[in-house]
Amino acid sequence: MMRALLFMLSLAVALRAYAQFKLPDINVNRLLDTARNLSKAAREPDEKEEIAIGNDVAARLLGAAPLMADARTQEYVNRVGRWLALQSERPDLPWRFGVLDAPQVNAFAVPGGTIFITRGLLAKMTSEAELAGVLAHEIVHVVKKHHLKAMQKGALASLSADAAGAALSNVNSEARNKLISFGTEMYSRGLDKGDELEADRLGVVIAARGGYDPYGLAAVLQTLQAMNAADSALALMFKTHPAPGERLDALGRMQAMLDAYSAQPQLRERFVAETQAPR
Amino acid sequence: MKALVPLLFLPLIAWAEPATVIRPTDLKAEPASDAATVKQLAENTPVDALERKGGWTRVKAGSAEGWVKMLVLRYSGAGDTKRGDTGLTQAINVARTGSSGTQVTTGVRGLDEAQLAKAQPNPAELAKLDRYAADRDGATRFAEQGKLSATTVPYP
Repeated sequence: MMRALLFMLSLAVALRAYAQFKLPDINVNRLLDTARNLSKAAREPDEKEEIAIGNDVAARLLGAAPLMADARTQEYVNRVGRWLALQSERPDLPWRFGVLDAPQVNAFAVPGGTIFITRGLLAKMTSEAELAGVLAHEIVHVVKKHHLKAMQKGALASLSADAAGAALSNVNSEARNKLISFGTEMYSRGLDKGDELEADRLGVVIAARGGYDPYGLAAVLQTLQAMNAADSALALMFKTHPAPGERLDALGRMQAMLDAYSAQPQLRERFVAETQAPR
Repeated sequence: MKALVPLLFLPLIAWAEPATVIRPTDLKAEPASDAATVKQLAENTPVDALERKGGWTRVKAGSAEGWVKMLVLRYSGAGDTKRGDTGLTQAINVARTGSSGTQVTTGVRGLDEAQLAKAQPNPAELAKLDRYAADRDGATRFAEQGKLSATTVPYP
């Protein structure tokens, strides 16, 4: 993309130089404008725009499933998540964590620092280290801007250069609406497999940095692997992620690092106390 | 339903999950590499997983019991029997139900593809989400209470 832009820009500049001598009637300024617009659409959203896009996408996801009505569990998950986010390269984003009232087993990362986990997945966990493993995986998606980049790619493919620019600058535009719809449906399509495996690889490091036993993520993956694949609660998660066995194989290549921190706390009792509060 | 919820949070102690070892493995008397070897387990030996401790899982292999590295275990429920083809199956289901995008196989409400496709913004829930957020100090105090200490660990 970048290369094509540079090419267009240099072509336009070359044309202008050439036009001074030979071709006075080519509208070189218009060519230059098109190149500028393309370059505007291709720019990455800045942090403020990223957070605004994330707000819009989070509001849609909450339209599909509301938050679980349990303040204690919600606050607990926020403390675990915020502590982990502080160990990341983007500690000062407006991080927010929400448990969605949905029986499906899944978790979602939204650009700008919003992370959701379903009550179905929380119910499969047995310790804070397992929760930390999943939240850290999602935090990596935000830190590495996996969803934001995929949205940007999709917007450029389906919107004109002008519209892609408007989707960022004008929050009430039709293009913006398209971008957010696309961003929400992305959670049905999933990211590239490489992004998921990267989130596993770096996520276990973030969990270890936070002082947790980094085997938490592997424990959750083994729990998922032991579940019945035909269970419809797993359908979307399995469709959008590599198979648990493949993810466990990849974590197996990090065994030395995992073992170095495996004596760190799992905090089973605190997890049970905080998520099993009277409802 | 309410009475069932605590069951979901049972600790791993009462748990016996069928699994297999993915390569030849030493069954150790303790969860440590330098512990005595109880028995050699061949590749694909079926075991029952009982409990996890750090990177180790206590298993029962026939009449023997001991510890193996957690990551040599693969469980037989989901990932193995249908490894990798869940997405394909689902894509076929979607194709069969036509362009409506609704999936006949989905039996539960909530966060599935159909719900995501028709979701409308819920600003009231978004405001709630903000109220539950933890600040830096709160998160740090919470970590101290759990005896969690931050460590420098480089990315691989």
